[in-house]
Amino acid sequence: MSTKQVRYEALVKALHTDIYRYAYWLVQDKQVAEDLVQETFLRAWRALDSLKDEKAAKSWLITILRRENARRFERKRFEMGEYEESSITDTVSPSTEQELENHWLRARINEMPVEYREPLVLQVIGGFSGEEIAELLDLNKNTVMTRLFRARNQLKEALEKTPLKRGTHNG
Amino acid sequence: MDELQFRRRLYEDPNAQDAEIVAARKDNPAREQFAKDIEALDRDIAEALRVPVPEELSDKLILRQAMASHQHDKRKNRVHFALAASVAIAFGVLFNFLQFSSAYTNIGDYALAHVYHEEGVFSNDGEAKVTLASLNNKMTSFNGVFASQVGELMSADYCRFDGIKSLHLVFKGETAPVNVFVVPERTEVSFTSVFEDKRYHGSSIRMGDNHVIVVGEKDEEVQKWRDNLSSSTQWSI
Repeated sequence: MSTKQVRYEALVKALHTDIYRYAYWLVQDKQVAEDLVQETFLRAWRALDSLKDEKAAKSWLITILRRENARRFERKRFEMGEYEESSITDTVSPSTEQELENHWLRARINEMPVEYREPLVLQVIGGFSGEEIAELLDLNKNTVMTRLFRARNQLKEALEKTPLKRGTHNG
Repeated sequence: MDELQFRRRLYEDPNAQDAEIVAARKDNPAREQFAKDIEALDRDIAEALRVPVPEELSDKLILRQAMASHQHDKRKNRVHFALAASVAIAFGVLFNFLQFSSAYTNIGDYALAHVYHEEGVFSNDGEAKVTLASLNNKMTSFNGVFASQVGELMSADYCRFDGIKSLHLVFKGETAPVNVFVVPERTEVSFTSVFEDKRYHGSSIRMGDNHVIVVGEKDEEVQKWRDNLSSSTQWSI
């Protein structure tokens, strides 16, 4: 097996989960997210020699994925209307309290504008700093921080407006 | 750091651990509690964001890449094959060009070059060993027949000279051999009825689909040879 192959497989194993989740929250559709991830890794394979710093791998993949997603928009502009609620709701029926909580929170995150959702996902799932997110999204850091603040603020307010859910947070 | 700033900083990054935040939390149970609440909220957010990843996605990614690079290799092989084929064709064309293209623009030049090329091979005191039957046997591929011998024929052989297959006849001449070439007519080599250089002169005539060229030394009556050849041969087209 070539060293390139070994590098690629290591990259897939280490990062496919985070990249898929990022894609999912970006496009809010499981199938589209999976296709995007496939396309992203295929491009990553072709360009693997240009990846010099393994530490930069995650942001490199995210940059590729965002570009792929932008292409998808260009191709399918006519299909882009309001997102369909049905495509984003979990089909798994939640059973435990934690799952119920998860399910509810997911729905709230899905309702959030992508401008707020994307930095939140990059921070929480990707582990990126404010500066790194600003660079990835081509925004200034203050804008990113404001969006992160608003994202959490929205969720917090939504939780407070739902007394049933509050218990899990205060307890 | 005022209360609003403190809260805002934690909303922006619940895991902020810089000195300012640490100092603001210290000895302030209300802020400490707020920080803990936000950390808890963030754990829930993190949990919610961790949507299930399709099973075997990593295997699919590796498989897809393996297929793609296999396709790529196949394409590369096809490109290599096409390159090799192109080079082979180029060589073929070049070979043909060298082999079959004429360096001479008229049959006079061609005939003289042929004579010079074989200079010394034939001498005028050679034996006239070629029979009429043998000659006519060779003439069949030019669709011509000799009704009678026109002289003492020392040699009759097919030659490929400058890519042209010709019948080269060598007759005994006055002092030196007389060369007669029977050459298929070719468009790229123009016809010249008489030609000469310092040593030889020659005369040619169209017979059937061929040019018949006589080349002899200056004292040889090549016109007469030519007329004799003309009258003693028959050509079918």
